Amino acid sequence: MSRIWSMMDVGRRSMMNSQTALQTTAHNIANKSTEGYSRQRVELQTNQPIGEGKLRIGMGARAGVVTRTNNSYLEKQLEHEGNQSGFLDARSEMLGRVEQVYNEQVNKGLNHSIGAFFNSFRELSNNPESLATRTQVKETAIGMTNDFKKIHEQLTGIQNDADFQMRTKVEQINQITKEIANLNEKIQSVEIGGATANDERDRRDVLIKDLSQKINIRYAESKKDGQLTITAGNTAVLVSGFSQRDLIVSETPAKGSKREGGLDILYKATESGTPINITKQITGGEIGGILEVRDGIIGGLKDNTDEIAYSLATEVNRAHIQGYDRNGRTGNLLFDQPTNAKDAALYMKVSDGVANDVSRIAAAGAAGAPGDNRIANILSGLEYQQTMRDGTANFDDFYSSMVGQVGIEAQRSNSAQESQKDTVSQLKNLRESISGVSLDEETTRMIEFQKSFEASARLIKTADEMIDTVLRLKPM
Amino acid sequence: MRIADKMQYDQVKNNISKNRTQMADLQNQAATQKRVTKPSDDPLAASRVLGNRIDLQSNQQFTKSLNYAKSFLEITDQSLGDLSEVLVRAKELALGQANDGSGNEESRRVVATEIQQLRNAMVSIGNRKLGDRFIFGGFSTQKAPFTPKGEFTGDQGEMNIHIDKETFLPMNVSGGRIFLGEGVDANGMAKQGPPQAKTLAEFEKQKLEAFNKARPNINQNSTPNSTPPNQAPGSPLNSPQGPAVGSLTEQGSVDHSREPASVQALLSEPEPKEEAAGTNLFSTLKDLEVSLRTNDKQGVQESLNVLDAALSQVVLSRSQVGSRSMTLDTWMQTLEKNKVDDQTQISSLEDADVFNTVSEINKTQATLQATLQTSGKLIQPSLMDFLR
Repeated sequence: MSRIWSMMDVGRRSMMNSQTALQTTAHNIANKSTEGYSRQRVELQTNQPIGEGKLRIGMGARAGVVTRTNNSYLEKQLEHEGNQSGFLDARSEMLGRVEQVYNEQVNKGLNHSIGAFFNSFRELSNNPESLATRTQVKETAIGMTNDFKKIHEQLTGIQNDADFQMRTKVEQINQITKEIANLNEKIQSVEIGGATANDERDRRDVLIKDLSQKINIRYAESKKDGQLTITAGNTAVLVSGFSQRDLIVSETPAKGSKREGGLDILYKATESGTPINITKQITGGEIGGILEVRDGIIGGLKDNTDEIAYSLATEVNRAHIQGYDRNGRTGNLLFDQPTNAKDAALYMKVSDGVANDVSRIAAAGAAGAPGDNRIANILSGLEYQQTMRDGTANFDDFYSSMVGQVGIEAQRSNSAQESQKDTVSQLKNLRESISGVSLDEETTRMIEFQKSFEASARLIKTADEMIDTVLRLKPM
Repeated sequence: MRIADKMQYDQVKNNISKNRTQMADLQNQAATQKRVTKPSDDPLAASRVLGNRIDLQSNQQFTKSLNYAKSFLEITDQSLGDLSEVLVRAKELALGQANDGSGNEESRRVVATEIQQLRNAMVSIGNRKLGDRFIFGGFSTQKAPFTPKGEFTGDQGEMNIHIDKETFLPMNVSGGRIFLGEGVDANGMAKQGPPQAKTLAEFEKQKLEAFNKARPNINQNSTPNSTPPNQAPGSPLNSPQGPAVGSLTEQGSVDHSREPASVQALLSEPEPKEEAAGTNLFSTLKDLEVSLRTNDKQGVQESLNVLDAALSQVVLSRSQVGSRSMTLDTWMQTLEKNKVDDQTQISSLEDADVFNTVSEINKTQATLQATLQTSGKLIQPSLMDFLR
């Protein structure tokens, strides 16, 4: 009889195993589309057999652990490429907007208004007596200063938007690190009992990838208790075991060539510690990309635009101040002379004298000669004088090469982004091919365990019948 | 390779979006007919197009300036033609009265009156205008350069016109030279002055040279101010090209009427006046008129030679104007050619190749359709479908 009982027992356990396996299959199917999910498997093991003399009788199977199918090396690679991809995405997106500031393929921009400005001197040179040509000089000069200002303001606008984006992203980072610290705790409490915290680990992997996409991090998992330590940049420890520290966004006052009111990222090592500026350490992820464009590229472009504005105003003034206006006065400035190149584009302005009275525009090289156009000619020729960068470029050259550089920068970034996308999608494919759920597979398993369930039930029924048979035996 | 379901969906999604992006780009090209719509599409082309555009823009202005200079030269030429007719007529009349055969005291007096009228005609030619500018006044274009007596009140200013990046062309001839023979050598040829300054540095150099020439005069007038003109009051620039730009501040206009007359004369006339070696047309006719009135046959005969010299002076000026006109025509053609070149370059740099674009669109369209069809087939079947 005892064998029949144990037969029933094996059957019962087998039915339970089938149910466990089916439940895991259901879990897999349900999470087929969950980001970062790794398919799970029930590890079935044979039970300890019973020995009866020479016979070793198998006692069926038992469910060991539920494992996840996952390649941690691949996850690390994905995190790394994701970081690069975040950097390039943010950079390309920002550069796309910067490039629009200098895009004159469709609209007329600064290039055109500089040309119009110098053309107005040619017209003035044709007819220096006329007030109409003088007014034209004034109007084109004002138009040009407006274009300079517009470019400067648009660039500042993009920088401000970068700050805004950065603020949002830092908030997201703080949320993510909080959740990771929580998961650290959960994983420890689950795994201390010997099980693996599959779903929590999956979630934590996803969060690390999200985090890495936003900022450059380094992380390590403790072999002992599975706790994750995450460091942003070089020194800012965001998560260590259960504890988490926020990144702080803060406005810093203008310093040197730095823009006024630009946001910096700070980190406090302890609650009461002094915040340390770690902005320079952030070189990767979306924030890294944003920072590079905000401080490096836009900063440089602003400097260049300022340089053109400054040289232009200075060179024009230098000639104009020596000229004589319609009433024989000399020493007039056409533009308010900027003291240095910083923000020259923003503050470029036609001098009040000329703005209020166009007869103050100096076309003549001497007093009392209304047809004298010598200064107008010198100003008109200034467009082709190599006055920029120690006499190596004229205004037009300098500007168009600047536009070319913006274009090259954006183009390079775009193509790097394209190829990075391919790399990431390939890696993702690879990951899915290992960890992803296949419906075909799961359906097959479903059938497999359903059959196994049926067979186990049949086994129990057979055992039952056997017991019946035994019970129905009558003493003869 | 193990194929997970998510892989398939991702792949389908990626492929379709890739094809759609490509399609959108091409459609944009087809709609704008431009290959480059933002600098990053082709940075090199975008930057070169900017260069060409600005060339085209200034080209337009140069053409405008050329046309203006042309009409200026035309009216000058016409006036000089009229002027030489006046002189020819004067010579005819003088010839008729140079001997006693055809002229006598009576006829000479009559002719003297006509000569006087010819002189008046000459004054009015000298005061001709284009628009509201006197063409023979040099830089002094707003007041009549010749008084009824034939005195010249204009200057020797030469108005240059910017007609190409590095090229300036003078468009006017000063009445002083044509009518009074100023700045003309004994052969009636115009003396070449220094070329007009193209840059500020050149301008300052010329000013300084002129200043040094005139310095003794200033000292005579015991002017306390003997600094060079580029450091003169009203010009706070310390050095013409140094880093002193910081000191470029407006210090108010300077009223030059307060400066010593010699400085003013110097400033308004950078080229120092020289003794006229040419012929003064007005005094020539005046002399002739006086000779006729006084029945001075000898005087009339002498004036014939002077009239010849006067005529050749005008003709030489006219030929100079003519050659300038021709230069203008040549430049006009050059500008026209540059314009076409620039336009062609811009077009080849930024315009889309229509045939290429359309064939690309067809190709991408086919790819997109294939992707959609195969995607449909790929996604549909799973084992589930066969277990019903």
